[in-house]
Amino acid sequence: MSNAPMLNEQQGRRGTSLMWPAICVLIGLLFFFPILWAALMSFKSTPAIIAERFPLTWKSVVPTSPTFENYVTLFTSIGFGRSLLNTMIASIGQVSASVVVATLAGYAFARLPFPGRDLLFALILSTAFVPLETILVPLYNVARALGLTSTYPALFLPFVANPFSIYLMRQSFAEIPVELDDAAHIDGASRWRVFWRIALPNVKPALATLVLIQFIWSWNNYLWPLVIIQNPNMQIAQVSLAALKSIPNFPMDGPLFAGATILTVPLVLLAIVLQRYYVRGLMTSGIR
Amino acid sequence: MLLPALAGLVLFQFAPIVVGLLNSLQSFNPFTHRASGWVGLNNFVEVLAEPSFHWAVLITMVYVVLILAITIPLALGLATLLNSRRPGTTFVRAAVLGALAASEAVTALVWNQMYDASTGLLNALLVTLHLPAQPFLIDANHAVVSIVVMTVWKDVGLAMLMFLAGLQSVPGSVYEAAALDGASTWKVFQRITLPLLRPSVILVMFIATVGATRLVTPILILTQGGPGGSTTNMALYSYNQAFSFNSPGHAAASVVCMMLLLVALTGGQALLLRRRGGK
Repeated sequence: MSNAPMLNEQQGRRGTSLMWPAICVLIGLLFFFPILWAALMSFKSTPAIIAERFPLTWKSVVPTSPTFENYVTLFTSIGFGRSLLNTMIASIGQVSASVVVATLAGYAFARLPFPGRDLLFALILSTAFVPLETILVPLYNVARALGLTSTYPALFLPFVANPFSIYLMRQSFAEIPVELDDAAHIDGASRWRVFWRIALPNVKPALATLVLIQFIWSWNNYLWPLVIIQNPNMQIAQVSLAALKSIPNFPMDGPLFAGATILTVPLVLLAIVLQRYYVRGLMTSGIR
Repeated sequence: MLLPALAGLVLFQFAPIVVGLLNSLQSFNPFTHRASGWVGLNNFVEVLAEPSFHWAVLITMVYVVLILAITIPLALGLATLLNSRRPGTTFVRAAVLGALAASEAVTALVWNQMYDASTGLLNALLVTLHLPAQPFLIDANHAVVSIVVMTVWKDVGLAMLMFLAGLQSVPGSVYEAAALDGASTWKVFQRITLPLLRPSVILVMFIATVGATRLVTPILILTQGGPGGSTTNMALYSYNQAFSFNSPGHAAASVVCMMLLLVALTGGQALLLRRRGGK
């Protein structure tokens, strides 16, 4: 083999080694842009945002004289702290309750033989085809009849028995070799002890996945709190923030960006850092 | 052990479906919102006679078609890029997953700022490029496209992950064999990758169809269903009937219609794809 073709090949490689990272950075920035821009704008006063947005200059996307005033306004005069607390209460409720429910149900479907088990499991999975938005109105009627209007449990109870989560836990429990259970039973362990000491420690990655995905889903709620919570003091931050959008003659752009930053940036970073678990959760929910 | 799960599902999944079906056959006292009698299919007759409902059905399908038409090629392109493991792809993966994790309502508020007709960032960009400014959320056609673009940006990651899983399940030896036969990149993609991705394509179509049918939050935040109801799909129509127009019977009838449409769309896709696959 002569030297010339090898040299060409190397040059070709160097060419692509610069081109692909550039394309990737460009695509990545396009997807990051709305969140990044909101974060940058949150450090800019509302008058400056409006004055420097149009026409487009470098000032349109960069805080020229960075300030925390939007965050101060948000927590002092707008009362965002209370809304954020409500979001966290709803989130903790949804995550903890759904993990308990899915773990118990998942174990039962994976390990306890009972008549009609597969049929019942199929029936539960079939509810995954009915998204919240399609049953929003009748769900509201049911929740109202149960006296849940404007209560904290109303924020998370409808999401607690989740078919994806039950599916995820069933698959994870089913992957544990049955011999482990049998050995423990022979040693005289009760079924509860087997569940607690053998099954649960073996599904830790699935539990982490479940916690993460339910946490992200709970921060994505909007429509349900919007209809079921009529007391503004109990409304979650995602809904309260939207009210800042349209206050006539009183632009709230700065605080709006500050709130958007608080509600998206930590969540996005969490999903990226823990993407191994996040992707696993998404793939399970995708299997439906 | 099953009791909590069953209680939750019966109360918050099955009961609403049954209540929705029953309500669609009942009339309601407009002041107390209590059911006041059985009216057979009267609600359906009234809803189906509404021009605004016809529009909502049409626009629901427009969202589904547009979202599928953009999501599938884009997700396939992104998945192919990630599968190549070229330097920089981890950044793309992080950005797409980031958009997927972020709150739909909150990011819609940010897009609303970018779409603003008079001083929005996108129009500032267009004017700088000496292009005409666009009435993104003001004109009916523009508004539909604006909502679709935001939704695709937000959700394309899920489809991308499905395609990526499909691509990674194709054994490398298949490509080596094709390369030995001297097949071009496009030929390999068309003749080998695409057929092997069939299951992923079916899955993505199904998920994107359900996702596009249930689209409400971005519409509420970006256009509130306007201008003149032009961006109102069936999901928002039933929401409006229930919470703005005080007519639970019409809301329930449109909910039932929406569920039937969803079943028809996904069932139709399944039949179509199965028949073509059997050939």
